[in-house]
Amino acid sequence: MTLAPASSHPHAPREAPALTGMADAVLAEVAARLEDYAETGRAATIELTAMPLTTEDRAELEAWLGRGEVAVTIESAGHSEIWETRFSGVWFVRHFGEGDRIATESIEIADAPLIVRSHPADMRAAARRLAALCADQSTRTRRDA
Amino acid sequence: MQRSQTLGEILDSRGVSRRAFLKYASYVSALMALPAGSAAAMAEGLAAARRQSVIWLSFQECTGCTESLTRSFSPTLESLIFDFISLDYHHTLQAASGEAAEKARETAMAENKGKYIVVVDGAVSTKDGGLYSTIAGVANVDMLRASVKDALAVIAVGTCAAFGGIPKARPNPTGAAPVDEIVTDKPVINIPGCPPIPEAMAGVISYLVSFGKLPELDDLRRPKAFFGETIHDRCYRRPFYERGLFADGFDDAGARQGYCLYKVGCKGPVTYNSCATLKWNGGVSFPIQSGHGCLGCSEPDFWDQGGFYRPLSTSLRDLGPALAGAAVAGAALGAGAAWASRRHQAAYVKEQAASEGGKK
Ligand code: SF4
Repeated sequence: MTLAPASSHPHAPREAPALTGMADAVLAEVAARLEDYAETGRAATIELTAMPLTTEDRAELEAWLGRGEVAVTIESAGHSEIWETRFSGVWFVRHFGEGDRIATESIEIADAPLIVRSHPADMRAAARRLAALCADQSTRTRRDA
Repeated sequence: MQRSQTLGEILDSRGVSRRAFLKYASYVSALMALPAGSAAAMAEGLAAARRQSVIWLSFQECTGCTESLTRSFSPTLESLIFDFISLDYHHTLQAASGEAAEKARETAMAENKGKYIVVVDGAVSTKDGGLYSTIAGVANVDMLRASVKDALAVIAVGTCAAFGGIPKARPNPTGAAPVDEIVTDKPVINIPGCPPIPEAMAGVISYLVSFGKLPELDDLRRPKAFFGETIHDRCYRRPFYERGLFADGFDDAGARQGYCLYKVGCKGPVTYNSCATLKWNGGVSFPIQSGHGCLGCSEPDFWDQGGFYRPLSTSLRDLGPALAGAAVAGAALGAGAAWASRRHQAAYVKEQAASEGGKK
């Protein structure tokens, strides 16, 4: 049986367990994946969005992992918040959707989350734009001279 | 905008980066519970795809399905789906009307032969040659047959298109039929619901566009990702159900405690859909969370199941022993509930009589 997070609602069953133990399970998986990554370089993603974690479970997990040295925000198709936890190589990735609700939430085990890296297609397009800008600038400089 | 451009190129020219694709793909793969790592593959697939031509046919329907998909999306993550498709025909939303509209449909069919998707909302009238529902003088059934001829796939959106829905409810005067009774030689995907969950529609279309194949379907052709579990499986009132704590009415102490709504007619145990997890209106709530039982709107013939407020007491065979046990307990308790409500009614009548008497 699974419990959807509902503790914020007045009709939520009061007796429903706030902490289900799911956070412990996720933490154990993170530990195993991190060990694997450190040894083999195999990156991994643990998708939290659809997991039956209660609000309390999520808070507990977040607190255990804590915040490390790096925090990133992305403004692309809405807002995203990403941070490295206090465990190097363990990243928390949170994308917001309509009305600032959390659309997806995951833990990535990698040297940097995929979405933080620049995509080759974006870089090619950027190179074209930048070249055009340079050409434009040099024509203007020549004209002014 | 050229049809030959990829989605990656089209969006790049508008300053949308590949990060947006990746973000959207993470969102859809989380919705559909795709294996970890699918997001990157989906993002690449989407960026390399052409804009998907969609012909949307509205037959015997109420426009609620269109309303559900287009509900006030702000320009955020969820609305990216509208950049991935080219809605070439949709008579509620398109600017063209009359002959120009029908021409747009024919052009899209010719230009995207074998590649376009037909989305249908509404049931198809078949009685007397389908004359009960026509568009531009053409019976829906004929327009459907002609439109799917060169389609890649057909998506029946909403319970009416998927199962006949309300037009097919007894006595079904127009001979309303579901899409898959008419379309037998093309892949049909059913996304039932009255209306269907918008995320399910967006998820299925995105999956088709990026991977070029159908998602996994169940025996009623519903995508398993959204219809793999019942409402009851993921209902937050389930702990009350397990302990046999039921509301007997919508205003009693049990209802106020948030008890299970089984006895006031909840159809959650036999309804496959994702309302309990995805919820509605941007994740705000869903019927059970708002205090009303599930009507079972995404199941075949939900309108003719003997009453929305009558407890599910029949066909316990399919429900498994735990549920059948509680259902029987529910039925036994039901007699008490009927007595309680009669007493409630009697008290009310007496009160009314007293106040009437007082006035005289
Ligand atoms: S019967 Fe309805 S209200 Fe009760 S637990 Fe099942 S789905 Fe929820």
